[in-house]
Amino acid sequence: MGYQWNWSIFGSTVPTGETTYLVWLLSGLQTTILLSLSAWLLALALGSLTGVLRTVPSKPLSTLASAYVELFRNIPLLVQLFIWYFVLPEILPFGLGDAFKQQLSPLTQQFLSAMLCLAFFTSARVAEQVRAGINALPRGQRAAGLALGFTLPQTYRHVLLPMAFRLIVPPLTSECLNIFKNSAVCSTIGLLELAAQGRQLVDYTAQPYESFIAITLLYLVINVVVMGLMRIVEARARVPGYLGSK
Amino acid sequence: MYEFDWSSIPGALPFLWEGMKVSLEITACAVLFGIAWGTLLAMARLAAIKPLTWLAAGYVNLFRAIPLVMVLLWFFLIVPQVLRGVFNLSATTDVRLASALVGFALFEAAYYSEIIRAGIQSVPKGQVAAAAALGMTYAQAMRLVVLPQAFRNMVPLLLTQAIVLFQDTSLVYVSALADFFGVAYKVGDRDGRLVELLLFAGAVYFLICFAASQAVRHYQKKLNAHGAH
Amino acid sequence: MISIQNVSKHYGTFQVLTDCSTEVNKGEVIVVCGPSGSGKSTLIKCVNGLEPFQSGTITVDGVSVGDPKTNLSKLRSRVGMVFQHFELFPHMSITDNLTIAQVKVLGRSKDEATDKGLKLLDRVGLKAHAAKFPGQLSGGQQQRVAIARALAMDPICMLFDEPTSALDPEMINEVLDVMVELAQEGMTMMCVTHEMGFARKVANRIVFMDQGQIVEDDAKDAFFGNPRSERARQFLAKILTH
Repeated sequence: MGYQWNWSIFGSTVPTGETTYLVWLLSGLQTTILLSLSAWLLALALGSLTGVLRTVPSKPLSTLASAYVELFRNIPLLVQLFIWYFVLPEILPFGLGDAFKQQLSPLTQQFLSAMLCLAFFTSARVAEQVRAGINALPRGQRAAGLALGFTLPQTYRHVLLPMAFRLIVPPLTSECLNIFKNSAVCSTIGLLELAAQGRQLVDYTAQPYESFIAITLLYLVINVVVMGLMRIVEARARVPGYLGSK
Repeated sequence: MYEFDWSSIPGALPFLWEGMKVSLEITACAVLFGIAWGTLLAMARLAAIKPLTWLAAGYVNLFRAIPLVMVLLWFFLIVPQVLRGVFNLSATTDVRLASALVGFALFEAAYYSEIIRAGIQSVPKGQVAAAAALGMTYAQAMRLVVLPQAFRNMVPLLLTQAIVLFQDTSLVYVSALADFFGVAYKVGDRDGRLVELLLFAGAVYFLICFAASQAVRHYQKKLNAHGAH
Repeated sequence: MISIQNVSKHYGTFQVLTDCSTEVNKGEVIVVCGPSGSGKSTLIKCVNGLEPFQSGTITVDGVSVGDPKTNLSKLRSRVGMVFQHFELFPHMSITDNLTIAQVKVLGRSKDEATDKGLKLLDRVGLKAHAAKFPGQLSGGQQQRVAIARALAMDPICMLFDEPTSALDPEMINEVLDVMVELAQEGMTMMCVTHEMGFARKVANRIVFMDQGQIVEDDAKDAFFGNPRSERARQFLAKILTH
């Protein structure tokens, strides 16, 4: 085959000379983690709110929430990303779009667009899980909370959500894994996250196998770490005597 | 304030339609391949032969841990080089597109196999025992008894996954394939009307996926109502 | 204490309650019985506004439940309710179950609430289980905790919605004993139940419902001695053969 394996490529300096390819790789990893985590926190907040609204006894609110979910679920992630990045800054009113284009560095623009896109995209999926979790609780739980004199928000806060979130840790884990994987799509707007660094390494080093294997391994590591963390969350949240726990 | 100008869309409709046909073709191929290969993977994972189980589990977990974009790049950039080396292909044979499509299908099959595995497991164990008691082999029991029941339960999930897959096809953009999204982007770029073309593409995807998911929901309701009797 | 006047309720075209009227005076124990689907659970849930109703009025301690201006949360905090499926909060310890509403709704201090909660837990004979979680208790134990949880709010009256029908037979009596004791202490109680032994022992009046209507509303002795309606007679005969 004649391919020359060269794993030391990561230690050699980049063409501009100021650093090594390994640093490029790690900075890509850092961007992927920062982007995914910040988007995940926002997605959890937005998704919980939307999921709750889908279960409240108010027709306009629940309709609005389900419209939100349908909108973000039925457009491909890549299209949403391009709309956030190329379209929104053009059509935002009150000079907001111009401010975005002129006052923020290109890097910040890419990061913000990517983060908001991933967050809204994922929040629709989180909302579905939150709704499913709330609906999986016995109907009497809501009545019991209200009968004790809790207001509806208090009933959600103290009675429904603590249990609903415990029930949906497994599906939320896979949504969290998805947000890391989906973040790779953001390489298409030029954001230098892990997948983009992989491509760049291939272009610069002409050692495609090493670069791609390294990137793929890093994604696998992210997966393992996220699953491990979520397993700890699940164990911590376990309710004694409740179904599925010992 | 931005001035919308939709005038470049009518003229581009034939190109966009060609692109949509490509997207739908990729979807159809990947769904068929994904279900077929996914079924084999699911059966391998549930088989009694340990090495087979491990291999299938390794395949599914690996593909499910890697971003689709990475898989497409692997199959677009790396795999063709390997193939060229192994089969001594001439430099003019461009297998990159075909390779990317195979990668896409292999990726989606991992997700299908998980749905199908759950479907097979949802069939009561007694059914296999009953089939065995009638003298059927394991393969016969699977083909005649378990899989027909499993697939009936799975149809809504398989269809929902097909909608997800249709959305995923937009990512073949990274391999420069002229699918619907690729065409929309090119037209917008050419005419300097990216805003309009991207919004148009988003609206088209939304209408198709929303209509399809409502249809699946309707079908599932009918299925549930039927099952309740 | 509780006054129900001409209450009707429907879901779409399905009539669940038709022109129901009855009273529960202070210190009285009223047992509501009837075949399943007769609307008795719906009626009792209307009393604290868990189920809305379209016409008629319900007042509890002079407060109108159906009035949109009424602060329902405040009213509910003064009316205890016990559910068929206990509805303890599974993610909280027994102590937290007993104290959370006292703290969050009544504004009591944590110490005061714990004190009160544990006293009531002792009263229902479960003090040793304070640190456990609901899932670690039997059904009968959970229902006794649920009664203690409702009592911890110092309710002016108690609503029981089939409190024993989800229990295994051997656990029914431990719950009924607590309820009998409560009745004998003078608590105002409205109980949806099939436990006719309990009714005979402590009820002042029996309300018999069928198909969304109150068919009989009689003193206990009159109801058991000589029910006026054929439907009540059939119901009693069926209950006895169980």
